[in-house]
Amino acid sequence: MSPTIQERPDLDQIPVAKRPATSPPPRPQTWILKVIMATTGSIFILFLLFHLAGNLKVYLPDDPQGHFNEYAHWLRTLLNPLVPGSTFLWAFRAVMVLALCLHVYSGLTLWIRAHRLRGRHARKVHSTKHHLTGRTMLWSGLIILSFIIFHLLDLTIGRAVESKEFSTKATYTLHDGTVVTDAYSNLIHSFERAPVAIFYVVVMIVIAFHLSHGIWSIINDFGGTAHRTRMVFLFLADLIALIVVIGNASIPLAVLAGGLTL
Amino acid sequence: MRLILEVWRQDGPDAEGSFETHEITDATPEMSLLELLDRLNHQLVENDLDPVAFESDCREGICGTCGLDVNGNPHGPEDNVPACGQHVRSFSDGQTVRFTPFRAKSFPVLRDLIVDRTGLDRIIQAGGTISVDAGTAPDADTLLVTHDDAERALDFAACIGCGACVSACPNGAAYLFTGAKLAHLALIPHGKEERARRARSVIAQMQSEFGPCSQIGECALACPAEIPLVAIAVVNRERLRAGFKKGKPN
Repeated sequence: MSPTIQERPDLDQIPVAKRPATSPPPRPQTWILKVIMATTGSIFILFLLFHLAGNLKVYLPDDPQGHFNEYAHWLRTLLNPLVPGSTFLWAFRAVMVLALCLHVYSGLTLWIRAHRLRGRHARKVHSTKHHLTGRTMLWSGLIILSFIIFHLLDLTIGRAVESKEFSTKATYTLHDGTVVTDAYSNLIHSFERAPVAIFYVVVMIVIAFHLSHGIWSIINDFGGTAHRTRMVFLFLADLIALIVVIGNASIPLAVLAGGLTL
Repeated sequence: MRLILEVWRQDGPDAEGSFETHEITDATPEMSLLELLDRLNHQLVENDLDPVAFESDCREGICGTCGLDVNGNPHGPEDNVPACGQHVRSFSDGQTVRFTPFRAKSFPVLRDLIVDRTGLDRIIQAGGTISVDAGTAPDADTLLVTHDDAERALDFAACIGCGACVSACPNGAAYLFTGAKLAHLALIPHGKEERARRARSVIAQMQSEFGPCSQIGECALACPAEIPLVAIAVVNRERLRAGFKKGKPN
């Protein structure tokens, strides 16, 4: 009788064909980082569209100041009385900060990995749109990151870069008698400073570049292979970028031109 | 035709390389870029100099052996054509043509214009085997594949593994190559049993040697087999799908 495998411990020692020795993939794996970027990026796109809808209230006829301040008040007291006070606002802010940290971390890690694997010789590149926007994602991203800090200091926190008329105490009485914070006057005062208004406009163009490539990347990172879906995303990428840049950049321009006043 | 050739010369993987300039006075417009290098080598040997090392085999665009950058373009100035199918007529008389090895950290130079592309082989090896019936030949039509799926799978199977996508990529990514392989095997019943396991190991291997994709699209413009850009999305689709399979092989 031939020995069974239990009686032949030496069988374990027989060399078998092995996979070639290679290094394990870097952690966290590239594909996971890409999915994180796409997920957090999608959150930011939704946020930008809602943010834009709120901003555009400055164009409403009959008391835009009231509409804008009412909306700002609604944001701060969202989901009341289910949750008390500004609970929702702070939970939302926490999610945004977490998403931002993940997005920046993944972006930098991917950029470093890409940079390491680039070869030494110069390349001639096709001057496609995605070449311009895709290669500058890190730089547009860093500009947007500094803008987020500036924007929060300017219009939310009111430190360092705020207009001298900035106040979190100034109030505005709505037509129904509710007394709310006057966010509208802070906005107008900030944009009455020409360099700040121009800075906002320039950053909006940078955001449009970032969005146009980012939205196209989302469909790839989520593995969308259907032709029509990909074409829709390619179109949406430019459409959303245009909507965001035109909608937002028009406000500082309108203030500078004197079309929006207190 | 007179052409000035600037050719990258490097003795070995660890040697410092440099450009060498030569003049070809009798180039003809119908010469392929490889024939231009042949002509240069002829001239070098006649003058007792070392010929330029470069790879080529079939010279009809089906093998994927030739691979070099010409004026910074993978394979040459034309899009979607291998070096053997590109001709001197793309250049004007007296122009300087610069030959460099494929550009990617994952493709170390072995000598002159020859790079080590075994990184791509390791991606294929990581894919492992597929389950097919062995033994006697199966009856015809036991394994049905629709015409459209067969055509699509063949479109992706057209990849000749030349590595131009990696050289074209600013990030040194091999997404187009890997995606083409995964897409072709995901479309046909052969290898269906190992679909998730293959995605996990192939993509892990790809990531360990090649860069991340930035969806710029240079790869699809360079690819001599015209693999469509959708292949890069197939990589993440297959990996996400495998993730939902919780370690199951299919």
